[in-house]
Amino acid sequence: MTEKISKRVIFAFVITSLSIYLVFVLNPDGALRILLNLLTFAGIYGLSAIGLNVHFGWTGLLNFGHASFMGVGAYVTLLLMPHAAGREGEVTSTGLPFLVALIIGIMSAALFGLLLGLPAIRLRGDYLAIVTIAAAEIFRLLVRDLESITGGVYGIINYTENFQQYRPMFIDKFSESNAFSPSQAWVCLAAWVSILLTVLFLKRLNNSPWGRALRAVREDEDAVRAMGKNAVWLKLQSFMLGAGIAGLSGVLLAFNYGSLETTVFVPLLTFYVWAIMILGGVGSITGPIFGSILFWVIISETDRLAYLLFENANGQQLAGVRFLLVGLLIMLLMIFRPSGLLGKKEELLLDVK
Amino acid sequence: MSNKLISVSKLKKSFGGLKAVDVDELSFEEGELTSIIGPNGAGKTTFFDLISGFQNSDSGEIYLKEKNISNSQPYKIARMGMVRTFQLTKVFDRMTVMENLLFSGSDVSNESFVKSIIKSRSQKSYENDLKQKASEIMDDLNISHMSNAYARELSGGQKKLLELARSIINEPEILLLDEPLAGVNPKLAEDILALIKKLSDSGITILMVEHNIEAVMKISNRIVVLAEGSLIADGNPNQIREDKNVIEAYLGKDDE
Repeated sequence: MTEKISKRVIFAFVITSLSIYLVFVLNPDGALRILLNLLTFAGIYGLSAIGLNVHFGWTGLLNFGHASFMGVGAYVTLLLMPHAAGREGEVTSTGLPFLVALIIGIMSAALFGLLLGLPAIRLRGDYLAIVTIAAAEIFRLLVRDLESITGGVYGIINYTENFQQYRPMFIDKFSESNAFSPSQAWVCLAAWVSILLTVLFLKRLNNSPWGRALRAVREDEDAVRAMGKNAVWLKLQSFMLGAGIAGLSGVLLAFNYGSLETTVFVPLLTFYVWAIMILGGVGSITGPIFGSILFWVIISETDRLAYLLFENANGQQLAGVRFLLVGLLIMLLMIFRPSGLLGKKEELLLDVK
Repeated sequence: MSNKLISVSKLKKSFGGLKAVDVDELSFEEGELTSIIGPNGAGKTTFFDLISGFQNSDSGEIYLKEKNISNSQPYKIARMGMVRTFQLTKVFDRMTVMENLLFSGSDVSNESFVKSIIKSRSQKSYENDLKQKASEIMDDLNISHMSNAYARELSGGQKKLLELARSIINEPEILLLDEPLAGVNPKLAEDILALIKKLSDSGITILMVEHNIEAVMKISNRIVVLAEGSLIADGNPNQIREDKNVIEAYLGKDDE
């Protein structure tokens, strides 16, 4: 059994390293800068996928509204700090320090998970999926329409300094020598530190009685009830934890973009996170990390690849071919590794009840 | 009244026009091993669902230890000491046999989120005791060799055993067994039957739905016969064997 696990880990490492190597092959110039951008997104989306894995991989909850949890985290955190918002760029110069705002933002995302969960969590399988995707869209449209607070379609700007002021010197030096954007390097580092801490936290929980109870809910709710356990409360706790992690990733995403608009939190974001979780391995804590790097290499390098394959094609044609390649690569991976990079075959979870 | 553990009165449940359960008065005493039999569709499983809270009744009252539990949540009823199994065995497929038992045996407070982060020493010792208890039960039921197997790798009969093990790890006062012998080979059926007898002898009150009449006659103190949702006979095995209503219900009126 241990041998099997290590084989899987080696495979995940090899394929992830190969995909990073591909970035260098396809981009003779500026590969490092592309890699930094890619790893930043991979870190942020990977973190979000780790949260989704708590919902789906551990508890079996079909959550298709993950983008809204990221959104709540991002909006609450940004609005609590000094920022400028709306058409006129109305400035709010007072606010909470970054860390305090961040903690409130994460807690708000978890609370939003609880509020959404209270009426919805009794639904099973695809019904929960429908409700969560609708709730996420309601959230997004609400944020868009509450222009006086959230800046609506004009979004929020001038908030990055709240976070960048803590940027250590070594990042500036390191960035200068590699022609990186120092602010992105700082977000990238924050994202990967967050992943590390979250993974350690979840590893602790996974083998605990609490984690075991969540897995029991995933397997059979009725049996959980028959054993005297409150399945609804267990599901709500899982929803809150995953939503909180998503909230943190949403904040990081906002800092990576530098300006925040509602269009960031469209359902496509949720689907990207789902793809990353499935690629990495449903139910695996570290799987989404590898899945995320692989996914972002595929997303960002397929246009290079398409260009190399079809030299005479124009931009529009390339864009088409690119998504064809994205689909093809993900399909190939799913055919040859249906349980994802690090998922256990015994726990293959795509057969939803 | 004093030793009536479960009693129901005027309990009714129908699905659309179909009357599933319509029981006027029925009670079960402490320590009894009662079998509920009846033709298919007699409302036996629905009766179980009603008293264990998995379905809400249309009307009527259910008392458990003299407390009204009509329309209570299933988990609350289970916590009062009444644990059930299911007709279609429900084990936690993608958890090991050991994990199945540990989860079922664990106290709710042991599963608290905060405790699980802190990983206190008390939690660890609780878990160790639990493991010990689970191992003992597995030894009793001869499934200890599968301790680390995923539950879904078990055969149908072994799953029945696991479900039973899971229900008794918390030492319930009342066990509701829904067809514990269905789809089990004769040898294992014998073992399960012996186990049920043993549990009953140890003082657990047992209600059992079962189609295997021979087995039912052999071990029950009392047999309750349902047909089309209503009670048609109630008595000890010998009385039931001779009961005209029962023969009619099973064989049809003009046969013989």
